Amino acid sequence: MNDRRARLESRHWLGKSVAGLVFGFGLALALSGLFAWLGPDGIHGGGGKIQFNMWLIAPIWCAVLSCVFLFRDSLRAWLWLGGANAAAFGLLWLVRATLEQGAA
Amino acid sequence: MKIRSDIVKVYKDVHIWVGIVAGLMLFVAFYGGAITMFEKPLERWAAPPSSLPTPVPLERAPALVEAVLTAHPEAARQYIVLVETAPDSPARVLWRVRGQRRGEFTEYGAGFDADGRLQVERIRKAPVAQLIDTLHQHVGLPFPERVSRLVMGAVALLYAVALVSGLIVLLPTLVKDLFALRVGKNIKRMWLDAHNALGLVSLPFHLIMALTCVVFAFHDQFYDAQDKVVYPGGIDWGREEHAPPPPPGTPPLPAAELLRRVNAQLPGFRVYGFSFEREKDGHLEGRVTGLDTRHGTRARTYASTHLDPYTGQVGPHDLPGHMEPWDAAVNAFFMLHFGSFGGNGVRWMYLLLGLAGAMLFYTGNVLWIESRRKKQRGTETPVQKRSVRVLGCLTTGVSLGCVVGISATLAATKWLPSRVDDLAAWHEGIYFAVFAACVAWAFLRGTARSAHELLWAAAAVTALIPLSSLAGAWGLGGAWHHPGSGIVIDAVAVLAVPVFLLIARHSRRRALRGHVDSVWSARAAAA
Repeated sequence: MNDRRARLESRHWLGKSVAGLVFGFGLALALSGLFAWLGPDGIHGGGGKIQFNMWLIAPIWCAVLSCVFLFRDSLRAWLWLGGANAAAFGLLWLVRATLEQGAA
Repeated sequence: MKIRSDIVKVYKDVHIWVGIVAGLMLFVAFYGGAITMFEKPLERWAAPPSSLPTPVPLERAPALVEAVLTAHPEAARQYIVLVETAPDSPARVLWRVRGQRRGEFTEYGAGFDADGRLQVERIRKAPVAQLIDTLHQHVGLPFPERVSRLVMGAVALLYAVALVSGLIVLLPTLVKDLFALRVGKNIKRMWLDAHNALGLVSLPFHLIMALTCVVFAFHDQFYDAQDKVVYPGGIDWGREEHAPPPPPGTPPLPAAELLRRVNAQLPGFRVYGFSFEREKDGHLEGRVTGLDTRHGTRARTYASTHLDPYTGQVGPHDLPGHMEPWDAAVNAFFMLHFGSFGGNGVRWMYLLLGLAGAMLFYTGNVLWIESRRKKQRGTETPVQKRSVRVLGCLTTGVSLGCVVGISATLAATKWLPSRVDDLAAWHEGIYFAVFAACVAWAFLRGTARSAHELLWAAAAVTALIPLSSLAGAWGLGGAWHHPGSGIVIDAVAVLAVPVFLLIARHSRRRALRGHVDSVWSARAAAA
């Protein structure tokens, strides 16, 4: 990282907000999916677990949306959050592929 | 705590903007939500008297059910036997007939008169508690459910961002500002201290509300998305397994016997009633509804679970205290939103937290106005910016319009049933007409004058609530008064009147005598 700390400015509202909304939701979805598979009781944890997995989306989405303004500009927000989405969905895909294979 | 000043600056801007967009809608949501904490007493208070005879004892319920099913076979599809009757559910046996549209239904109740003849009445519940709940859910907007739900979700997201950003702004000066209320010459300082104190002290409550509201608004979309990307072959809710039905023609147990068996299985659970549904093959499925105040519940005022009507066997896994861990966790999320745990003590606390929440949003708007105030330099009184004047009028008009509107529609409750047919439309019409009139009045008269004038209106209209109950007690004009828990509605209204008058007095004094370089001065507006 750069040593000359760039100061945060009140700009890029739209770009950051959209990144937070879209990628925040994507990240919440993927992470809740990982919890559904890897969390206690696994993917066949019953109706209560299914509801709990759904509830997880709200705090993660809100956290990302709240923190997205810490990025220096829109581009950084899009790249970092897009990368996080790719990683989380990739991991979810990997977990599903492995565990569904194991179950079959 | 140290936070870089540029971060604080950015988050202050975030906080200001999300606050100004969502603040007034959240005011209505919180004021309405605070009142819905007493949904049950309100429904009871608002239920028009029934012409049905006194409910038969529970022991005679089977005879009544048989008489109803003979005269009204359509009731067999779904009927209710109440253990506890009340003014808002005045019959031992009730049933619903579906209406044209989804979710629409007409409810009927039945009893035996003195000669043992069947008496049937369409149950008329005053929908005023429902209206306040809808205002709460739809953040005070008159749009259809689909639209309002999306707006509510958007407001909930903004609200979550407002909480986090507000906390970030406050953290660096937290130790210094906490518990400080600097009342004095610096008015903005005082409002900021009040705003911070309200926000910080009730932060856990607000975080719960924001997160649960996001779920309440978007759960369909969340499930749809997870259905597609998380679960193999989509979400599988599974099917509840029940004991096989008895041979056709077996009669269900009488309600009094069901009650004995449920009480034996669920000590501490107060049974409100039983509902029965006829399946396609003719056998009955039952549910028992009631409450155990030792456990919170995800329905606002009751808990309900499967009951085998032939054996009285309860399937308790839907009941708080008997749930599987995941269900218990989800149950907790709901009850934290509804305040449906710990009985009436918690309800009063949630009422106060809700009103404090409304104050939080109100003070937020006041701060916005104060920080954009043009101060007097020299002798000439400055004209305040247009945006400041508009927000001032909106703040008094919308928040007090909501207060006056709710009081007005409540005051009308006891006069409408004997005069009009479509109660729901009238209650809604009265609220929105009064609300719109208050907002118009605020723009007509300006922030400073409308503040105390609308507060006078709030006091006068709120006083009409207990007065109509009094008229009911005297039997005037078709109004009524039920003894019992509904009295709390009248009592709170009586308490609210002097509070409104006191705030009006302060606002008026400030408008007439306070410094003139502000939208809160009536002298500046006159000049």
